[in-house]
Order: sequence, then C-alpha cells, then structure tokens
Amino acid sequence: MLVIGAGCAGMRAAIEAHDSGADVAVVSKLHPTRSHSGAARGGINAALGNAGPDSPERHAADTVKGSDYLGDQDAIELFCNEAPGDIYQLERWGALFDRDEEGRLAQRPFGGAGAPRTVYVADVSGHVLLQVLYEQLLERGIEVYEEYFVLRLVLGEEGCEGVLAWDLPRGGVKALGAKAVILATGGSGRVYRGTTNAYACTGDGMAMALRVGLPLKDSEFMQFHPTTIFPSGLVVTEAVRGEGGHLLNSEGERFMSRYAPEAMELASRDVVSRAEQTEIDAGRDVNGSLLLDMRHFGPEKTVERFHGTRDLALTYAGVDPLTDPIPVRPGAHYHMGGVATDVDGCSELENVFAAGEVACVSLHGANRLGGNSLMETIVFGRRAGRAAAGRALASTAAAEIAPAARADAERELAQLLDRREGERPRAIRDELGASMHENFGVFREEGKMRRQLEILENLRERYRHVLVDDRSEIFNSDLTQVLELGYQLDLTVCMVTAGLERRESRGAHSRPKDFPDRDDENFLKHSLVHWQDGRPQLSWEPVRITKWQPQSRSY
Amino acid sequence: MRLELQIERFDPVSGRTSLQPYELEVREKATLLDCLEQIKDDIDGTLAFRRSCREGTCGSCAIRIDGRTALACRTPVAELAAGGTSIVAPIGNLPVLRDLVVETAPMWEKLRAVDPFLKPGPGRPADGRETLVPPAAMEAVRKEALCINCGACVSECDAISVSPEFLGPHALAKAWRFVGDPREGETVRRLEALSGEHGIWECTRCYLCNERCPRGVDPRDAIAKLGAEAILAGHTHDRGARHANWFPTSARTTGWLRESELVVKTLGIVASLKRIPLALRLFRHGKVPLPWPRHKARDLGPARELHRLVGEQDRRGALGIVQGERALERIEFVRSVADTGSEELSR
Repeated sequence: MLVIGAGCAGMRAAIEAHDSGADVAVVSKLHPTRSHSGAARGGINAALGNAGPDSPERHAADTVKGSDYLGDQDAIELFCNEAPGDIYQLERWGALFDRDEEGRLAQRPFGGAGAPRTVYVADVSGHVLLQVLYEQLLERGIEVYEEYFVLRLVLGEEGCEGVLAWDLPRGGVKALGAKAVILATGGSGRVYRGTTNAYACTGDGMAMALRVGLPLKDSEFMQFHPTTIFPSGLVVTEAVRGEGGHLLNSEGERFMSRYAPEAMELASRDVVSRAEQTEIDAGRDVNGSLLLDMRHFGPEKTVERFHGTRDLALTYAGVDPLTDPIPVRPGAHYHMGGVATDVDGCSELENVFAAGEVACVSLHGANRLGGNSLMETIVFGRRAGRAAAGRALASTAAAEIAPAARADAERELAQLLDRREGERPRAIRDELGASMHENFGVFREEGKMRRQLEILENLRERYRHVLVDDRSEIFNSDLTQVLELGYQLDLTVCMVTAGLERRESRGAHSRPKDFPDRDDENFLKHSLVHWQDGRPQLSWEPVRITKWQPQSRSY
Repeated sequence: MRLELQIERFDPVSGRTSLQPYELEVREKATLLDCLEQIKDDIDGTLAFRRSCREGTCGSCAIRIDGRTALACRTPVAELAAGGTSIVAPIGNLPVLRDLVVETAPMWEKLRAVDPFLKPGPGRPADGRETLVPPAAMEAVRKEALCINCGACVSECDAISVSPEFLGPHALAKAWRFVGDPREGETVRRLEALSGEHGIWECTRCYLCNERCPRGVDPRDAIAKLGAEAILAGHTHDRGARHANWFPTSARTTGWLRESELVVKTLGIVASLKRIPLALRLFRHGKVPLPWPRHKARDLGPARELHRLVGEQDRRGALGIVQGERALERIEFVRSVADTGSEELSR
C-alpha cells in the first residue's frame, strides 16, 4: 500500500500500517522532513489535565463549539478520547515536549479552549513531531519515494490500483501499484495570495480525489489566521496571544473588547480574523495591518519562549517585538474542508483513504481550534493507517497499474512539454491568489462569489495554453509547478461553488452583507462537491450530532 | 532595488558548469529566495532549486551565497554585497544534481548510520502516562533538536571535504540528540560506536558548522559533548580521544599545554619516533618549543582550582558544556537586550 505525502499524517499512517503488518511505502514530492507540518508552532491538544482540571469531554465540547456546530460529533468525541494516548505514545517515541516543574508534559492555553490543553515545544512543536515521526519511519525501514510528484490516482475494476508519479530528480513517469492508498498531502492555502502555507501546499490530494470522482466536504471553509506578517504571510504563533499578547488598532485600542469581551484575543480564530478585517475595513488599521503587542512580556519571556517569533519578526517585518508591536493581518491558514472520509479515513472508494488537512472527517466543522490539527494528523493518521493496512492485507487485487494508464499520462505530459507558445504560469497564479483573497476571503457575498466563478473560468481557459519553459528530465520543477496550478484551479471552483450555495454565516464562512446569521434550519449540513463532466456538482449531507445541540456561539 | 546575481548552473546532460548572470528589480525586504522565485517566474523557468516553507523551517533551500552557506529564505537581499554582484552556488560536499539542487542521499545515509531514533531505557511509568523528566534534564538536547536537515553544516565541513566518509556534523548532532536524552537506554553502546573510525574524533574543530547553522544547533558543540561523554565512558582508545584527554592532564600538572608531549600521548612512542625528522624541521622554523625544560605556568593555582571545582561539582562530561552554553546564552541575551537601547529593558 502507498501513503501519498510525508507530513505528520502521512508518516503516522505509514508507521501504523507497517506495524499492522502491511507492506507500505511513502510517496512524497518533498523529503519527509521538508513537509509543512514542521512549520506548526503552537502545539497539539489533548486533555491530559496536567495544568488544571480537564477531560476529553470538555475538549470535545470546545471543539464542537469551535466548529460552529458543523463538526461531526462522533468523530470529535472519538478524537478527544484517543488524543491523550497518542500523546503518551509520541513521548515514548522520543518527542521532546516541554515539561512542567514536576517533569510532566507542560500544557498551555490556546484560543477557544476552556482549559490549558495544548502540549508544546517552545514554538517549534510541529518541527519536533515531524522529526520524531521521521525517526520512527527510519527505525522501521519504511521505504520513501522521495521527490516523486504524484500525477493521479489510477482507477481500475477493483477500485484504486495505485498512482502515477513524476520522478522529479531523475525524470520519467513511474507507476506505483497498490492495494490501498492513503492521501496525506496536506492543505491548499496557496490558492490565496496571503497565506501562511508553504509553496508546496497546493491542494494536490484534494484535486486528485476530485478527478477520480471523490467528493470534497465543506470545501468552502478556509480558516484565516489572525496574525500573519505582510507580505510573506508568515504566521506569528497563537501562543503569543495564549500567553497574553494584545491586539491593538491604529488608535491603540484593544479592539477585541468590542467583539469578544470575555475571551478577548483568545477568541476563536474566525472571530479574531473577522474583528481584524472589520477594523481594517473601517480604516482603523496601520498600513493594512493591526498591531500584535508583546512588549509587556518582558525580554526574558520573549527571548526564551518566543525566540523563533522574535527572529521571524526581525527578519521578515523588520520589527523587534521587544520594543515594537508586530504588524499582523488575517491570512489563509488551514482548509477545514477536504476529501470526505469516515472516522477511519475511508473515502467513498473503499481502498482510498485520506488523513490530515487533505481530509474532512469532519473534526473542525466550520472553524478549527488551534492545536487540533497536529493532533488530527496523529489520531486520524493512525486510524487511516490501520484501516488501510487491513484493506490491503485482505485484498486479492494484483496491485498493478495497467500500462495504458501510464501511457496516457506520458502522452499528456509530452503534449504539455512540447507546447512552444502560451502563457507562463505566473500571471495565472497571481491572479488566482489575488482574486480569491478579494472575492472569497474573510468576508463573502453573492456578487463577489459569482464574479469569482467567472474569473476562475477565465483562468482555467488560459491554463489550457500554459507554457512550461523547462523541458529537461532532471529536476524539472517548472513542470511540477504548472501541474500544481492545475490542481489549484480545479479545487477553487469547488470551494466557491459550495460557498455560493451556503447562504448563511457559519465559522469561517462569513456573509455579513447578505446572510449575516447562522441558519441551522437550512444549513446545519455538510456541503459535498463532486467533479462530474468537468463541472462541480453540489449536494448536502447531515451533520452527525451526538450530545451537543447547536447554541449561539460567543466568546 | 536593482540587483545582479551570478548563478552557478549545472547541466547534468552535458556535464557543463557555468555562471549565468541575472539582473532583477526587487523590493528592499525581499529575501534571496524571493529573487530565485522571481527569476524562475519571469526570466528563466529552467533554473532549478529547492524550496518550500520560505521561513527557515523546512531546510530545502540551503545554497552558497558568495561562498558561505545559508538558507536562501533567511538571506535578506539587503545583506548581499551592496551594489555589487553576488554569486549563488549549490552547497558543497554533496554531488550536484542540477543547478542549485544537490543529491542529498549521502547525507541521509550518514544520518541512518547513527540509528537516529530513541532507544528507550527502562523506567517507564506503569500508568501508561509520560515518563517524568525534570525540565532541566531536557535542556541537554534542546539545541540539537532544532536541526532541520538543511545540510549547511555538511556543506561547510572541512573534514568531510578531505575525508568523505566522516559522519559529519549533521549526523553527529543528531547522535547527541539521543545520547544526551535522559530517556535513552543505549547511551554506552552508541558512544562506543561513535568513537570508532570516521566518528567523533575525525572532526577538525574548524567551527564552520557552528558558524553557518541557520538554527543555532551548533553541531561542533554537539560533537564536543559526544567526545566528553565518550571519554567519561572510558572510550579512550582513539587517537582523537587520547589527544583530547591530554589537555586537562597537562593543564592540571603544569598549567600549560605541553605540545611536544602531546604528540607522544596521542600517537604513542613508536609512531612518535617516526615523526622525529618532522619535529626537527618544525623546531628549526620555530614552530615547536623544546620538550625540556617543561613548559610550566608561573602560578598553578587557578588551573588546579578549576580542575578541583569541576570534579567537586560533578560537571564532567557533556553537562559542563551544556552549562557553558547556557551561560553564553545569558551573556548573549543581556547583550541583545542592551542592543535594543531600552534602559528599562536593560534593567
């Protein structure tokens, strides 16, 4: 079996599949430790109760509320119950979590959480988890096809037969047969101009799933992180607010008091991003940004606990947080939607699975809480790994890809590479990012979304004549970047289509002008977008509710 | 601002290397990676380089800029040669695949050679929860855990350039990350393996890895910690270990390093005898003192007191180095606060 993607979810899945007895390999367009999981700073949520009373039930209630009641509660409960055990396992594998005075795992408060629940390692939590998972991968001798860019899932009579991939360092299309495939390709933030995401986060897995007929669930929900640096989009960790950082507008006011008087800066991310956008739209910004103030932490705390943050601010914003507040604004950060799966990561195709940001279980619903996504990669990576291994071990399929499928892919690539006239991808990519920001950003409205669908249609037309400059076999990243743009264009059409039809405001989907309120009567349901005959087809699916009935959501 | 870059191109088909100039207009806060992106987007789509996170955490974009290794994404253009032309080349000590892209496999092979994963010792809590570890004990591997595998240290390593099989700063820093972990169960066996050929003692202590590491891992210090622990564990057979061991002995007995004796202590008597012609030549050029009378400090007190203190406070081995690093960080911290010019902060 194959795992596509080698971030935290992919590696955790591969480890579990291996330990379940399956013959598993990982395929990734990056070396595993280059994956974007490594950029997660703040931490990973589990109700250990080390820093005060807590329970999985409280974790679940916070997550349900954070999701604006769109999360599937069976998945949320299971997640919160299993999270502590996974944390202890990571610790046994060698993860270097920070400790409290008694030597237990330290926990800190995070946005939208009713207890200090986030386990962390200074501001390098994701980095440390990524390393420990890679270490475990090496210990098991799990094979990794490094820098293989996956072109497509191949469907045959018995479901998915494996994948076709472009071998980036050596060139050529490689066929990798498999009895089960797990997508763990991460997010899609790069469809926006201002994003915290790495260059690699282009939604490849979501688009590949669409192209074999799998639906995307809740794809209209993109979380905007409230504290990103302009213009790079780099994120200042939520831990700064968790530890008492203030958000100020141009008048020096802690404006969150008007939006979330109880939680203030620690309100849920969607709430803070909307408050910021409202301040910006009202002209109370400083060159398009608000100010994140941590001067009152004092130098000791700032240097010791936020060394990385200070370094980031110095390098990319030219600001020393010891003496000046950091200019921040909302930036696309995390895609709550993704390939629809059950709690074992299984999609509509019984041997295709998904885990992590590429998937939608739905754990996060309309808005994700900080610290829940790293935990998601571990819990659902593990579950998908086990379930997919079971499927592969029980399968009698040949795990071979028909030669015709490979010939098709080679012919398509040859056509693309043979093109001698056309438009370079840059303008298409830039216009995509800018228009998504403008028309499908923090705030949305009917007219702008319709306009965005037209823009996307135009960009897709131009993409049919896109020009690859580089024609060489060895490390042709010009080619793979053009292919990524193709994935992005399919994905965004689905996102906007779902957003247009969700005529309410919920979580990260906010329509203050036309539908300012949440509408549980009509929209307490998941959107599902299939790709059929080159067009998105929208349908709906009920939310699974166990014990928390929707209530108004305030912080 | 206007910028000219000369980029080293390598064409794997023809095997030719050439320098290609590019001129571009960039914003002042741009990084070198922004420049490479701009070239690829607007000028020349065939330029090959790796990149992903653009914030110094993924380790993809290590390159050499005007000879020194750095992450392109952490190199502000403002720091490049003002007004002049900068030369961008692939990192060193690894085969070039194409343009700025190197074959990293040799680096990962060395990493695998040090068993880069925790081999937990006994002492797991019966309740299935976390192992209790005092926060201070985890400090010992804090810096090494920051490594992003970018290869900057490998690129700069003098020892690898003459001895390609040397495990090198990257793998050895990772090795310390486990040897120094209080939860590790096979410390002694690891130290024995690392004390062998191409291990700890092949480092020439040029300190360029410390100098260039973009994450402050300080691989050379990690190698020093491994060396100190290896000697403490009794792995003193290697010449390197014997060499290192002579320093404190010499300092304790005469307060100075007795260089002539150092050769004998490191190489042994027979091998040293063969070096007599070299020694005479060195002496003729004034490079070495005569072995006798012994090179002795006027006041032995401070050297002996230091030795006594280390023993008394049990700061032998790596612990002393870790504490030293913390002390240096405190000094650095006070300086950096002072640099902000804030009197209030300085207090």
